[in-house]
Parts: sequence; C-alpha cells; structure tokens
Amino acid sequence: MTSASLTSRAGVASAAPAGGAPSVKPRRPGAIRKKDRIIGLLAVLPALLLVVAFSAYPIAFAVFISFTRTNGLTFEWRWFENYIAMVSDPIVQQVFVNNLKYLIAIPLVIFVAVVVSVLLFERVRGWKFFRVIFFLPNVLSIAVIGIMFRNAFGYYGGVNQALGLFGIEPIEFFTDGSIAIAIIILALVWSGFGYMSLLLFAGLTAINPAVFEAAAIDGAGWWKRLWYITLPNIRRVLGFVFIINVIYTFTGLFGFVYVMTAGGPGFDTTTIDYLVFLRAFSSSNLGSGAALAIMLFLFIGVLTLLQNKVFKLQEED
Amino acid sequence: MSDDTLISKRITSGRASGPVFIILALVATSIVYPLYFVIITSLRPNVDYLRDPFGLPGEWTFDNYLRLIEVYGVGQAFLNSLYVAVVTIVLVLTLATLAGYALAKYPVPGAKYATAIFVSLMLIPGAVLIIPTYVMLARLGLIGNYWGLILVYVSGALPFAVFFLSLTFRGIPVEVIEAARIDGAGFFRTLWSIIIPMGSSGIATLAVLQFLGVWNELLWALILIPEESMKLLTPTLASIGTRFLTDQPLVSAGLFITASIPLLLLIFASKYVMQGLQVGVSR
Repeated sequence: MTSASLTSRAGVASAAPAGGAPSVKPRRPGAIRKKDRIIGLLAVLPALLLVVAFSAYPIAFAVFISFTRTNGLTFEWRWFENYIAMVSDPIVQQVFVNNLKYLIAIPLVIFVAVVVSVLLFERVRGWKFFRVIFFLPNVLSIAVIGIMFRNAFGYYGGVNQALGLFGIEPIEFFTDGSIAIAIIILALVWSGFGYMSLLLFAGLTAINPAVFEAAAIDGAGWWKRLWYITLPNIRRVLGFVFIINVIYTFTGLFGFVYVMTAGGPGFDTTTIDYLVFLRAFSSSNLGSGAALAIMLFLFIGVLTLLQNKVFKLQEED
Repeated sequence: MSDDTLISKRITSGRASGPVFIILALVATSIVYPLYFVIITSLRPNVDYLRDPFGLPGEWTFDNYLRLIEVYGVGQAFLNSLYVAVVTIVLVLTLATLAGYALAKYPVPGAKYATAIFVSLMLIPGAVLIIPTYVMLARLGLIGNYWGLILVYVSGALPFAVFFLSLTFRGIPVEVIEAARIDGAGFFRTLWSIIIPMGSSGIATLAVLQFLGVWNELLWALILIPEESMKLLTPTLASIGTRFLTDQPLVSAGLFITASIPLLLLIFASKYVMQGLQVGVSR
C-alpha cells in the first residue's frame, strides 16, 4: 500500500510538468511513450521472470537431465541412452497401452456431455440449478473424487453393501487391473461431463435461432433437428472438447491413480504421468524419468499443434 | 430480446418437457447422492454404518471429525492449506494485475514475446516439471519449505492469470484511463482507482479459480512437503484414505472436510466459479 501510493505520487509529479508546459508539446508524446515503455516493462517483468525461472527453465533443464545418468547431484552425459532404454522398456510399453485404455473415457464423457447439454438447452424448469449441480464435481479435488470412488468400490464400500442386499458376497474390485481401470474411467466420466457440457452448452447458444426456426417450419422433428442442425453446428466445440480430453487423459490422471490404485496391481493401472512420478522418486536414475516426461511433452505438443491446425481449417470453412 | 425467447420457446416446446426434466433429475441425482452418502456416513460410528449403510444413522456423532482433527492432524493440515492458498492468491493477483494492465494498456517493448511466453507456458503438464523442479528446489534448499511450493504454484498460475487479466483489462475503455492520466494520475493511481475497480469481476473470478486450484492440488503438495507436521490437506486426506480402508465413516469425514471450502465457494460464489471455469480450460 505505502509503496504503491509513493510511486503513484512520483508518477503524478513527473507527469504534471509535461502536461503543464505547452511549449514542449511536439516532444511530449515521444517522451511519455518512452517513460510508459519503461513502466510497462517493469510491471510485466516480475511475472515474466518468475514464469521463466520456474516453468521455462525447468523444461530446458528436463531436456538436459533426459540426456544424462543422474541421481540429481552428479550428472553424467549419456546422449540418447535413456531414450533408447525407454523404447525397449516393457513397463513403458505396458503403461502406454494403459493410457490408450483410459481413452475409452472420452467417448463416454462426450456422450453424456452432449446429452446433458442438449437437454439443458431445452431450458426446462430449473435448468440453471441443474447446471450448477452438474458442475459440482469440478470444484472438488481429484483427491476427494478419487478417494470417494475408491471408498465406494472398496471392500466395505457402498457398492459392496448394496450388492450385499442381494446376497452377493463382497468383491475386491481393485485386485483386477481391468476392473480398476473401469472404475477410474467411471470416476473420470462422473467428474468430467459437467464441465464438458458447459462448453458444449456455450456452443449451442451460439447457434443462430433462426436456423432452428427455419427447420421447424420445414417440419423437421426434434431428433432430425438434433442430428442435422444441432450436432453439426457444434462440431468445432466437439473437436475442441475431444482434444482437451485426450491431453487430459495423458497428463491429468496422476491424482486418480495415486489415491485409487497406486498404479497397481503391478503396473496394470499406471499411467505415463504416474510412471514419471514413480521413476522420479524410486529410481536411482532420474534421467529415465525425465526422458519419459520429455516424450510425453512432445506428444502433447504435437496434439496441440494438430488441434490448432484443425481449428484453422474449420474456421476457413 | 422478447423475440429471441419467443423463437427458442417455439423450438423447444416441440416435445414435452417432462422426460427432459426427469433425465436431468436422474443425472443430478447421480451427482448429489454420492455426496449425500459421504456426508451422512461421516456423521455416524463405524459399527452403525456397517449395520445399515443406506439408512439414516441410528446414532449421530461428530466423533469422526474430532478424531481426524485431534489425532490425525487434519486441523493443522487444513490451516496449512489455507495459508499456502491465501499467500499464493495474493501473489498471483498482484503480479498478474501489474503484468496484465501493462500488457493491455501500455506499449511494453517485446510485448508480443512476453505474451507468447505466457501463452505457450499455459498448458505445461506437471509431469514434465516434476523432476527438474524437484532437483532445482532441492539445490535451493526449498524442499519442505512452503516458499518452494508457493513459488511453484504462483509460476504455474501466472501464465493463465496474466493472459486472462490482460483480456479483461483490454475491455476497459481507453478514454477513462486517458482522462485520469490527463488529470495527472500515474501507473499505480490509474491501476488502483480505475483498472482494479472496473476489472473487479474478472479479478474475483480469477481469485476464486486459483484458490480452488491450489486448495485441490495434490502432486506438488505431496512431493515438495515431505514433513508430516507441515503437510497440506490433500496429501493428508490421501494418506488417511489409504490407511483406513475399514473405517468408511472416518474417511468420509476427511472427504467432507476437504470438500467443504470448495462447496462453500460454489454455493456463495457460483457466478464467479462458473465464469472462471468456463474460461479456464486449464484445470
């Protein structure tokens, strides 16, 4: 507070003479502009330096680490050794396949999101309230959602208790990798569709109502309008939602895996980002984890570029 | 306006709204029921839960909450999380407001490059940063120190925050700022008396969004703060969740404590939360 008011007074003091002296009018804009450039730069600098130091620099450092054999203290340059080892590493291969399995969540999330957004768009009584409810999981921590699902499907959890009502013995859901993945996917759909339907809803509201009206006059029914007008008109948003989901599946599952299965049984539910975490804290060579992280980074980068390209193409349509 | 509603009414009333309402209500139930179950379960003893998990508790108790706070350090963890979140928000808002204002309204040299850096760092996956950041902070002696964690949070939040606020501030008419400057107001004066009041909705949105982000974060909180007594809430919850598999009510109480603040924010600031998450693709 004090430093702010001090500086602002200094600003007033130095600006006043320039404003009060008409004789220097031709030089004034340039002089002010120069001062403004310095002020602007000083205002941007703290944020920029912090971001460069703690986000940009670590990426470069990660690239360096990925070419070395290291325990974090001493670095031994080994060129592509980590990358070569990674390609033939059976665990890395298994984990990559796991990530592909998690992709099943995407059509499910998008399906539910489309249904929900189209129904919300009908604007039935209380739709605004429903919107907030669907959005609820988005404010919860992944730790909360993950443990909630782990609990629900645990030995003493709600699901087993419900099965017990039908005389079914409790099931150890998390001892089977495929079932564990299915439960994590369920958690992903549960927590993800609300946000996606919000994005799709925004896309729906952007459609010109006259188009619907014209179709309705032509006698197109609700389903026809949905298939021929609504969905084609939100295909850009759908594409966007698809890509961010793919990126999320490859980079955002750490929390779910950590609290629900710890990657097990074996490596059956481990994702790439979780494997990076494991390699970082349980392996003697940080280089291998860094190489994996860099590969993931490049993969995501390519996806993002693809996304931009696709959007450019569609904007030209 | 009235034309619009008329048209949309006509489109939507093509089909009875009954089935639509029922489906939406069912989906809403699938969201609300698990949360209701967690809350009810957290308020009963374990024995009571195992006897009849789906009925109302035969015995209501706050015992689970008290045990978490007194024995398992959840109260301390709650305060730790609050401290880290508040400090982070204050730093992010301060730095992002300065940078956002400058980028929106000042001729910053190299503004293009600065913006490019912020935008390109917006969606860096945490997995890429784990190893280098850990090694770097270890060298600086900042592992097990809240400042290391806060620096990581702040720098992680800034790219989006700067981008978002510079967009918000760009919408403020130049004439208002020019008028103030002719009256002799400098950078901080215009920032304080024009930019911040006029951009307050955007700033509040950002504050809520970033608070949720820090409060809910797990990965960095887990690896950068190894000390038990300094742990934040999410790692504490994660360890309780894995340790007490047989005590559902206890874990449920932990879940509700962790979820309480975000739920309060959604209830009392739902406008800002919805706005923020609609804009913020990064979670």
